[in-house]
This record gives sequence, structure tokens and C-alpha cells, in this order.
Amino acid sequence: MINYDLIYPGNPDQYLDDLCERVSQGMDEGLLPVEVFRDDAVFRAEMERIFTRNWIFVAHTSEIPEKGDYVLRRIGIDKVIVTRDDDDQINVLLNHCRHRGSELCHQDKGNTRHFKCPYHGWVYRNNGDWAGAPHLKDAYGGPLDKKEWSLLRAAKVEAIHGFVFASLSEDVPPLREYLGGAAWMFDALFGLHPDGMKVLKEPERFVVKADWKSGAENFSGDAYHVSTAHLSASLSEFIPGVNQVSSLASGYDFGNGNSFIGHALPELIAPMFDLWGYPPEYRDQFDLSQLDEVQLEMLKKVPPTIGTVFPNFSFLRFPQPDVPGAMPIPFTSIRMWQPVAPGVMELWNYELEYAFLPESFHDKAYMAGQFGFGSGGIFEQDDTAVWEGIAKVAASPWALSKGMRLHYQQKRGGPDPDWKGPGEFHPSIYGEYSQERFWRRWVKEMTEGKRASKHAEPCDDQGGCQ
Amino acid sequence: MKKIHELHEHAADFLAREALMLDERRFRDWFALLDDEIDYDVPIRIAMRNYAEEFPPGAFRIKDCKAHIQTRIARLESDHAWAEVPPSRTLRVVGSVMVDATERADVIEVVSAMILYRQRGHDDPGDVIPVRRHDLLRVSEDGFRLLKRKALITHAVLQTPNLGVFL
Repeated sequence: MINYDLIYPGNPDQYLDDLCERVSQGMDEGLLPVEVFRDDAVFRAEMERIFTRNWIFVAHTSEIPEKGDYVLRRIGIDKVIVTRDDDDQINVLLNHCRHRGSELCHQDKGNTRHFKCPYHGWVYRNNGDWAGAPHLKDAYGGPLDKKEWSLLRAAKVEAIHGFVFASLSEDVPPLREYLGGAAWMFDALFGLHPDGMKVLKEPERFVVKADWKSGAENFSGDAYHVSTAHLSASLSEFIPGVNQVSSLASGYDFGNGNSFIGHALPELIAPMFDLWGYPPEYRDQFDLSQLDEVQLEMLKKVPPTIGTVFPNFSFLRFPQPDVPGAMPIPFTSIRMWQPVAPGVMELWNYELEYAFLPESFHDKAYMAGQFGFGSGGIFEQDDTAVWEGIAKVAASPWALSKGMRLHYQQKRGGPDPDWKGPGEFHPSIYGEYSQERFWRRWVKEMTEGKRASKHAEPCDDQGGCQ
Repeated sequence: MKKIHELHEHAADFLAREALMLDERRFRDWFALLDDEIDYDVPIRIAMRNYAEEFPPGAFRIKDCKAHIQTRIARLESDHAWAEVPPSRTLRVVGSVMVDATERADVIEVVSAMILYRQRGHDDPGDVIPVRRHDLLRVSEDGFRLLKRKALITHAVLQTPNLGVFL
């Protein structure tokens, strides 16, 4: 199918400048130009201006617990190897040989001390250092510089509660500072036990004919869709009250494209669903001493259930039955909205749980998460269908020729003036304020990223190209 | 051996009729073919050198018991299951059927290959979902009942946006 872009006067650079201006002005009016969801120039610019110069989530430390462990992941459309090296450090490496560019790693996960290129046999250590090549003396007269010819390495790698983020640009603040209020939220979500959380099973991946931003934006603050898009969950009697889910939802907005939805779960389901409904015998083992009063109050009344960290990391923690008719239990799912092409993404979905919990609970939580939000999940299926239409209208000659813009004008009740936590707390999720901030952040990165890429230093052949 | 040969013919016939039933979206008829103990499992597959490692233990896209499947069918009947509005038009081609006895006298193991062609929506090109099925069928007086289905999808990265269809 044709990936239709409007024929636009001027060069793509000018087009993108104008589009960013249109999105920015549009947000002042609560309107979003449709073409952001599927456009070659937009997609190319996103790769250069967003994914190569921001902190991007790549893996959880529990996926590579031992020295030598690695998983194959993505940053934007690049395949990267996330390794735990022999010195127990985590590296994020471009999966291409420095000699001729062939791919080195051909398994989704494993354990190795070295990666060997299948083309001419150059070998790299699991920290990315160049380690050797066949016929070394005859071909090169001796070893090459191990750092100069190392695999390209992410400039920065940091983890928060085991969530590993990488930045290809040196020019980013430390992860916690970058995340801002979202880090405070991570503490309340993922920092409740000293043993931390662990990934339960491998990520499942599926190609969705929708733009990555549709998923990210949805998880940033869209509880409104639930009562329509997911009505079948109610009609099938699986979750009878699903159409109330948006009215008892609130928003935690940190103003930078990082935002979370909270649900008044005790009100929505039953009083015991504070702390997401973790069973009492388990929550007694949580260590809440690190949390401040606002976090404690939040977990009691309106625990965060859904959220997005810009650009493409989202999570979901919600009580749901593992088997129809059973008592709902919380599951924690993380998702990466991986860009593939304009209007096409690969959705990565997997579950984590507190490591100290018994395997029987892990199994139930995994079941609940996959039945709801896996590729066959009775919720997620319908999202994949409704988001497809957005990518289609974004390539509609009619819509584009008329400058069609989408409606982001819900009534806003405003933030709670007495909120003591970081960012803003909005008692009502209606208002689309988090989505607006998502798009303003997008404009900011697309604009600042243009200047940054214009002034990029030429690669000096050092491993990091920093 | 004659018995197995006969069972092979019956099992192939069962799978062909089951495929037609699902293609014609007679989900309640299909539900009646499921044993009460049905275990419907769609494992996650990853890219690994060794075949045995391609299916990480316990990792699944779907793992349904009968109650889960009942919910899925009720969902499809709700007219609000948007992933299947309009319903996919499907063709299931089942072949390479192999039948073996198991330790249980009333249960046979049936392995088959299934190509599921699925045209979603209105005019989009269809998706192909290739599957190797490992089934257990319970032999009863009323014919076979599906006791277990492990549907091994060939793709590591699923090329259809959701598993809104039964494999």
C-alpha cells in the first residue's frame, strides 16, 4: 500500500519546521495535524532527533543476571546488544561489525564472552572491545586498538530499579534527573521491596500497523477510550465495571511527556484494592519506608496504573482475574512501542513481578497480564485495531489536503492546588492534558534535535563516536 | 497398527471439519468439541540456534482453559470486539497429519501443520499465520474432543496485529 505523503513545497527540512510549528500552534487550540502519525519525513526525523539523543529503555537487569548474559534489543530501528560483561557492567552495543558492518549477534538472548562476526571473523569482547581477527599477523601486522575499533557503544547506560535505559548521546542529564517526577513514580511502583522486580518471561513481539506514538500517547493519559474500545470486556462479563474505568481515573502529569494514569481502585473495585490489590500476606513484606507521605497516600487511594515515559516506554499495573470469575490480582506489564516504519510499529510486551513473591503468584500475574494485554489479550487486541485507522487517516489525501486536525479539547478540571508531590495531580483524567504535554515534548525534541544533528561532530572512529 | 491407521483417518477428518467450523465462525459448535480440561497454548518463540531453546519454558502468548475460551467467544459475540469487526475472513489449511498413541488408552497425539490465511478489515491484503499444532484428542463415544492444543507459530515476531482468531 502506498505510503502517501502530501506533495509539499520546499524541502523536507522546511516541511518539518512547518509541521512542528503546526503541531505547536495546534496544541494551543487543542488540535493535532493528522500527518504526524504516518509520514516518511517525520519518521526519519524521529529516528535522528528523538531516538538517537534521548534516554531509551532497552531491558531490565533481571533479563541479564549473569556475567556474559545478553539480549538483543532495539533503539529506534537499530538492533542493539545489551550485555552484562565480564566486569559485571552493562553495555549497549550496535549489532554491527566495525570491519564491514555485518550483524554479529543472531540470537535473541544468550551468554557469551565474545561476539564473532560471521563475515571475516573479527571478534569482540562482551563489553564491545575489539578482541581479535583471523590471520592477524598476515592481514594486519598485529592487533588493532581495542577501543578505537570497538563496537559502537551507547554513550550512557543507567538503570533505575533495574530498568536499563541507554542514550546514544553524551549530552543528556543523569537518568533520574531526566525522568524527573517519573523517577518518583518509579520509586512508588517498582521500589517497594529490596529484592526488586524481575522479568517473568521473554518479551512477546507483534507487528501492528499503527504508529508508535499512538501507543505511547494512549498510555500517557487516555483512560477515556476504555469504556468504548474495551466494552467487550464488560459485555463478555469478564470485567463487568469496565465502562466506569475512565470516570474514576486521575492523572499524574510531570509536564515533559512523562505521565501516569491513576485509578481509585478501592472505590472502583473494593476497599482491599489499595496498593493495586496485592494480597495482604505479600504487601506486609513490602518496605514502604523509602516512600514519602504523598506516595503512601497515592498508593492507598489512587495508585498509578498506566503510564508513559517519553518516547516509547509504557507500563500497566492493574488488578485483573487470571481466570474468568477469579479474584482480581495485580499484574505488571511493560511495553515498548518500537518504531518500524511510518505508521508501523512492533509492540513488545512482557510482565515483571516483585522477585520475592512466590512462583505461584508470578504464574497467576503472568496469566492475568497475557490474557488481558498479550497479542491475544482481550484488551490489547482492540487497541491494535483502533490505532490502525489513525495511521490510515495520516496518509489520506483528502484529510491532508484539507489540513485535517484531531480533537484534543476535552473539558479540563485543572490540577489539584493542594498537591504536594512532583508535577501536577489532576483529579480527573478528562482533559487530555497529558496527551498535550506528550505532543509538546515531541515538538521540543524534533526542534532541538534538529539543531543538535546539524552540529553533530564527525565520527572520530572512536568506539562511541561521542 | 490398524487401529492407529483408522484413527489417523478420523483425526484428519476431525481437523478438517474443525477448520471449516472455525472458518465459518461457528464458535459455539467448536466450543462443544473442546474437552472440559482443554489446555490451549500458544507459546512465545524466539530466535535461537537450538530448536529446543526457541520456546522459553512457560512463556506464552495465550494459555487458555475452557473459561478463558468461553470469555473469548462471548467477546466475539458482543459486536464490540473491534479486532474482529468486521470478522476476519479465514481459510485454515491443515495437513501433514501424524497420529500416535499415548500412554492413555483414550487419548491420541495428533501433530499437524496449519496455514491460517486471515483477511482482516475490508480491503487490506491478508495475513498468513503458519502454525505447527501438537494436539491431544480424547476419544469418546461421541467422537473426538480436543484436550490439548499447543500451537507453535512459525514467526518469532507475529506478523498479524493480534491473535483475534483461534489457531
